[in-house]
Amino acid sequence: MTELVKRKLEARPAPEPDPGDPFAAFREVEILDMQMAFGFRHSLGKLSRFFLALEERKLLGTVCPTCGKVWLPPRPVCPDDLAVTEWRELAQRGRLAVGSLSAYSLKTAGGDRQLMLGYVEVEGASTLILQQIRNLGAHALEPGLPLKIVWSEEAVEHPMELFWFEPA
Amino acid sequence: MPDPDIVLLGGGISRFARERADGTPVDWMTEATRDALADAGVDHGDLDMSVVSYESEILARQVTMGQVVQDALGLCPKPSVRVEAGGGTAGAALRTAFAYLKGGLAGSVLVVGAEAVGRLVSSATVREVYALSGDVEFEMAAGGFFMAYYALMMKEHMRLYGTTEEQMALVSVKNHRNALSNPMAAMPMSITVQDVLESPPVVAPYKRLDCSVLADGAAAVILATADWAAAHASAWRDKPRVFMTGSGCGTERVRLGDRPRPDPGFAHMRAKREAARKAYAMAGIEDPRAEIDLAEVADAYTGAELQSIEALGFCAPGESGPLLEQGVFDLGGALPVNTSGGLLGMGGPPGAIGLAQAIEVLRQLRGECPAERRVPGARRGLTDIHGGTASYAVVSIFDRRD
Ligand SMILES: [Zn+2]
Repeated sequence: MTELVKRKLEARPAPEPDPGDPFAAFREVEILDMQMAFGFRHSLGKLSRFFLALEERKLLGTVCPTCGKVWLPPRPVCPDDLAVTEWRELAQRGRLAVGSLSAYSLKTAGGDRQLMLGYVEVEGASTLILQQIRNLGAHALEPGLPLKIVWSEEAVEHPMELFWFEPA
Repeated sequence: MPDPDIVLLGGGISRFARERADGTPVDWMTEATRDALADAGVDHGDLDMSVVSYESEILARQVTMGQVVQDALGLCPKPSVRVEAGGGTAGAALRTAFAYLKGGLAGSVLVVGAEAVGRLVSSATVREVYALSGDVEFEMAAGGFFMAYYALMMKEHMRLYGTTEEQMALVSVKNHRNALSNPMAAMPMSITVQDVLESPPVVAPYKRLDCSVLADGAAAVILATADWAAAHASAWRDKPRVFMTGSGCGTERVRLGDRPRPDPGFAHMRAKREAARKAYAMAGIEDPRAEIDLAEVADAYTGAELQSIEALGFCAPGESGPLLEQGVFDLGGALPVNTSGGLLGMGGPPGAIGLAQAIEVLRQLRGECPAERRVPGARRGLTDIHGGTASYAVVSIFDRRD
């Protein structure tokens, strides 16, 4: 028999009524297959220069002219004093602050594969940046591990995938 | 300025479960509301307004959830406001109702919340949508997601204080066990530390049984001024009276790496400390561990419960693990934590869990909980819920007054 409703996944008959169930007459269930897909023209706004610089293999932070704090990830405005910041190129090395191994990753980061994530204290930055750690080799993923930036030789989907950290 | 006393008149929960195909979020919120009204002995036509607690409408395929619920509950044309604060949504909803009542804009408020995040939505989709509640430009693009952020927080906690995976596992054992006597809980389980340690790894140090599961479900409470309650609610006459005597809220930088180091750094929840400080000041609490009889604490992950216990000032940073081992936070201990089962034992629909916490405290303070999880003679309870990586925290205090 042909299904009259193409999106119908399942129809469950009502179970034996539970005595005292006020909703006894509402226990039949139909489940539909509904889909939603979104696309975005997503502007990176005032952060765009950071992401464009990654294509030139440069790591940019922003420095606050008022308090001197160096933000990485960059911020166009220092939240400590609301001063407009200035771009500053940073060294491509640092140390692991904290890292961990994940058994899986988001669909947008490749789905089921393992992933090593860490917060890295880049030399000259006042804050920490989250990034993937790869090719750990025999090193332990321990705080203080010296790290360097490695750049992707291949085209990537998102500019943040242009770099990761490896033991220095 | 008038400063009305605010009373928690009643509550209702529509069962938390991994999958609730038997209704939509609107259905569950209606069920929870009917139960809350019956518990409070209030006619729904007498209610002044609603606060609707719903985090991610995309996952329910229903935007403007507040308006849809208002209609289903027959509360039109009365006022309503919908509140969102990530995992802390229901805490923010409670606080919003509290503010409306304190400010004189309403005499009674229905606070109702739900979330459709169970198995009818794929867990990959849910993780993807929830990752959007953190930093999307840098961290999500680098592969970051919430379980990983929480794991990194505990890595630091372990390094600083020697907190162990066994201590975290004990949280899971305790909360799943507490849920055994809670018929509204999605994840009642009798498990051992070994079971937790041997469950599949997720993000080190977390294993699957360290993590709460997302569940469908709804909860509703009725808050009112004492004057309104005396005029409209039979619970005011017939049941022990439980007042909401303190409310605090705090916030924190979204990215862990942007937080001042070493304190709060990764290991400490500054937003929660701030929320607790304000709630304690309002309720007149000076020594929370001695003056609070039970607490429902944010435990989306086992380590988060330990971090929360410390941020709430129940002990100094690093002391929560050893105190947990001594049984301080068990039923029968000096300060039982998550007698309901918490998020680990109940499952966590973000729009509802903070209300379910308040309902557990209400039941405990009234002496209505089953003997297995009752805190005898409890007079004061706390609820604590947060969103993000504790980027937003709400703490509420409830007192029984006879
Ligand atoms: Zn500054």
